[in-house]
Amino acid sequence: MTLTSKPLAVLIFIILFGGIAFTTSMGWFATESTKEPVTFTEGEFAGLANPADIRGSYTFGDIENSFGIPSTILAQAFNIQTDDPSLFTIKELEVIYATSEFEVGTASVRLFVAFHNGLPLDLSTDMYLPENAALLLKEKKLAPEQLAYLELHTVPNPAAASGSPEAVPVQVTESAPESDSIEKLVKGKTTFQEILSWGVPQETIEQVMGIPMPNPLTKVKDYCLEKGLDFEVIKTALQAEIDKLK
Amino acid sequence: MKIFGKRLFRPHSIWIRKIVQWFFFLLIALISTNHTLVENGGGIPFLSTASLHALCPFGGVVTIYQYATVGTFVQKIHESAFVLMIIGFVLAFLFGPVFCGWVCPLGTIQEWVAKLGRKFFKRRYNQFIPDHLDKVLRYLRYLVLAWVVYVTATSGTLIFAEYDPYFALFNFWSSEVAIGGLIILGATLVLSVFIERPWCKYACPYGAVLGITNIFRVFQIKRAESTCKADGACSIMCPMNIKVDTIHTVRDHQCISCLECTSEAICPVAKTVVFTTGAVK
Repeated sequence: MTLTSKPLAVLIFIILFGGIAFTTSMGWFATESTKEPVTFTEGEFAGLANPADIRGSYTFGDIENSFGIPSTILAQAFNIQTDDPSLFTIKELEVIYATSEFEVGTASVRLFVAFHNGLPLDLSTDMYLPENAALLLKEKKLAPEQLAYLELHTVPNPAAASGSPEAVPVQVTESAPESDSIEKLVKGKTTFQEILSWGVPQETIEQVMGIPMPNPLTKVKDYCLEKGLDFEVIKTALQAEIDKLK
Repeated sequence: MKIFGKRLFRPHSIWIRKIVQWFFFLLIALISTNHTLVENGGGIPFLSTASLHALCPFGGVVTIYQYATVGTFVQKIHESAFVLMIIGFVLAFLFGPVFCGWVCPLGTIQEWVAKLGRKFFKRRYNQFIPDHLDKVLRYLRYLVLAWVVYVTATSGTLIFAEYDPYFALFNFWSSEVAIGGLIILGATLVLSVFIERPWCKYACPYGAVLGITNIFRVFQIKRAESTCKADGACSIMCPMNIKVDTIHTVRDHQCISCLECTSEAICPVAKTVVFTTGAVK
């Protein structure tokens, strides 16, 4: 069989776009990570989105879609001033609250969402909220232990430290430029390889985890979930080891 | 093909290939622009908002190791890249690296710049590098491939994005682009004035992978020695400098299946250089 250019062009289109159409119909052609957190599988909250699975790449809009909390409320809670709060990416909180004594980031959003919607969340680790978020939550009916947790885990709003009660204006971008120190943060997608490349020896990682390190390409969070370890605890301990090297 | 009596394409060329190249260049440019617009709250309706990483079949190649060992993709790579990689392999198994010759927008822009080089240098264009040196340099892209696969496998991150001219071409306006990518893109475009498709010939790791299929592809470019006039037209026209007029079957790892050497294009004798599954005499 001999092929000329026109049938070849048609075949290229058929195979390429046919392949894409087929795999799309099968749900295999994902061009981005899913922005829907996993749901509780049992108990009274079964079927509801689990705030523990909120990730740094989510926007306030994604939280609104999954948990029904308006982006404007989230922006108010975290002191974010922007034209469209639904586009604000959670990971940017770490940059905005970089000067805070305690970390305000993805875990803070998990805490806020859990308390706001009355969903369970493991409180054995320290997660901090800015004053605005705490004030908003106190308007809800919180359990005494939740109120006590809030009392101990509230940090000043970022602008309050400089004496201004105003919110911090931010430029909304999906990937804000990050400084070297910010890049060396243990996050949900951080792999063991990255931690090794930041200078933390394998022995130290294994000491922190209490178990042997898996394939270095494994994400720390995935391995913690697999082994039943608390990611927040491991993350804090590994971060401390990284910070020691700075 | 003529519009208002004016010829749109060079005579004896595979004009439909140029149209396909234009289509994919514009498609990727629009999707990449849309990705930026969506990040800033805008966007073009009914058009994909995928990132360039999600639409690059080479992303699938570099993530194979991690997928096989850990079951996850390298950061920024998604299932779509894996699917495109498989489709790219199917196309290459059947027709050779048609992705390079017909689809890849980086190849297309190099061809556009090549027109300028042809105007300046006429027949000297694409003939500047001595054969013995060129022969060795053609294997550089396998070193690049080995390096990219190694650093991606050991780091679990898409380090090649820092140097990727394809990513730089469609992201030069964004903060995501790396200076290394822009420099390599600039160098590629400047070199294209002297050499046709320099990136493809000497550095493209994806071209290196697809090029291997030229050895066993189903449809092959074959020359009928009985009717060949040995005028060398096919070799002169080949953008990858393959000496088609001296071989029976083109199995060169650099062939991009552009069909510009065939009897449908530059070869003046019918059914002499053909793209076929059968035998020719």
